[in-house]
Amino acid sequence: MSEFSARKLEHKKNWALTPPAFERLLDWLDEGESSDGRRYLEMRRRLVAYFDRKNCSSADELTDETLNRVARRLEEEGTTESDTPAARYCYIVARFVFMEYLRGAQKDRGLSDDLRRQPYGNIVAGSKLDNEKETQEKLLNCLEHCTSKLDSLNRNLILQYYTGKERVKIESRRVLAASLGISMNALSIRACRIRDKIEGCVRQ
Amino acid sequence: MMPGQCEILFQFCLIGLRRLRGRYVKMSKQLYNNQTIAEYLLGSLPEAEAERFDELSITNDEFAETLKAAEKDLVDAYVQGELTGVELERFQFHYLASPLRREKVDFAQAFKVLAEKSSSARSAEAPSEAAAKPSKKTKVSGWSSALRVFTERRLALQWGFAAMALAFLIAGGWLALENVRLRRQISQTQARREALGQREQELQKELEEQRSASAKTEQELAQVAEERRRLEDDLKKEQHLQRVDEKQQPSRPDEGLVASFILTPQMRGIGQVPTVSIPASTEYVAMQLELESNDYPAYRIALVDPSNNQVLWRSGKINATRNGKALSVRFRAGLLKRQTHLLQVSGMPASGVSEVVGDYPFRVVR
Repeated sequence: MSEFSARKLEHKKNWALTPPAFERLLDWLDEGESSDGRRYLEMRRRLVAYFDRKNCSSADELTDETLNRVARRLEEEGTTESDTPAARYCYIVARFVFMEYLRGAQKDRGLSDDLRRQPYGNIVAGSKLDNEKETQEKLLNCLEHCTSKLDSLNRNLILQYYTGKERVKIESRRVLAASLGISMNALSIRACRIRDKIEGCVRQ
Repeated sequence: MMPGQCEILFQFCLIGLRRLRGRYVKMSKQLYNNQTIAEYLLGSLPEAEAERFDELSITNDEFAETLKAAEKDLVDAYVQGELTGVELERFQFHYLASPLRREKVDFAQAFKVLAEKSSSARSAEAPSEAAAKPSKKTKVSGWSSALRVFTERRLALQWGFAAMALAFLIAGGWLALENVRLRRQISQTQARREALGQREQELQKELEEQRSASAKTEQELAQVAEERRRLEDDLKKEQHLQRVDEKQQPSRPDEGLVASFILTPQMRGIGQVPTVSIPASTEYVAMQLELESNDYPAYRIALVDPSNNQVLWRSGKINATRNGKALSVRFRAGLLKRQTHLLQVSGMPASGVSEVVGDYPFRVVR
């Protein structure tokens, strides 16, 4: 390894996200349209979900690593490849981070695979706590509280959307979509957004 | 792998993905449906296809939304016991392997409980409403009853919006009228302001003129005051000198400052020339000349030396005394010598040339 490469590697290892670098990252993700950080949050959510779907044990950390690398590249180069949209560039970096993670995880792969292949029911059965019921009760209370904070239109929509089972549920959703004058797919996305809002509230 | 090699691999990925980009966009619409998304979430898709979905989940907003909704539906289906066979097995082995995803399941379970509670509450409300308002459709399920409430709410909302729109329309009209009125008011105010400005200018001009006139008057007043002061000084000096003279020359009984005489008009061929004796200290001689008749509004008197007809002194315009019988005149005694003199009286008509009306000769002795 040349001296230059060694210095570069050292710099990469020591690099930390600074407030100006973070600001630059937010601007870059906005792609000219100010979103007050919403684009960043959405990108972070997508990356966490991506790593999680890949069964990575530390999806949050890998997401931070991905975004840090993008921010570092922005600081070093001033910009990324000019014809690469922000989201696509993030995906490329995320994929690269994932591949590194796979290589690093090869050593204890056997253990993680075993864990991954174990059915949830078995895991839960082994580690079920006595206060699980209490936790569930608490979650339900939070959920009720957060749902009551929604405006009546959204509250009715989300409760109606999750009413019934199987055919009844499907029929109910069809009627609801027709009454709102939207497609089933649009209704699904709208309900999903309302539910995200409730989930966010519950987490708080 | 060394860091340099990692960098090369990264660049390679970048180029490869950029080449494929156009193809992916074209394909994105045909790439997925609910079934394939469910398979993707359960980890059942072939690796190549799963990678495409991975990319879309980050780069394609529409797919990201659809994926999120589909994931919720999948979790709900699991919570409600709708998953069976291979799907259920995949869900338990693959999906529930992640703590994050298990949280989603917990949330969905709580949400299911909430929805059921809400549904049963509405079902309980529905029969009482049906009893209160009997209608043709007697058999109404719980959820459709709730939906009817919901659609009624929509109708109410629509009416509400219509009322609001009407209110906005009225408010808009009123604002437009108010705007016109205010504009008119502004233009009137501007006109008044311009008129006032003009008036102010005129008044300023007048004020300046008055100031200028006042300054001139003050100047004249100052000049008059100066003249007056000078005259007063002269008078004081004269009086002072007079007092000094009086002190230096004590007055005698036969001497006076003014010697007065009365002269009658010269009669043709008779009479002697009257003699006037003037003391040496006499300064002025006052003569009263009797008139034969007062035919003129004014007179002028001249002191003449008859030896050479030289006019020694000439008076200004003189009016006759109150009774109209005499003229009073006064001149310096120094003008007289020890000889005969003549006071020649000329009458001055209102218009025209003056004419001699009489001579008053007298002889001076000292």
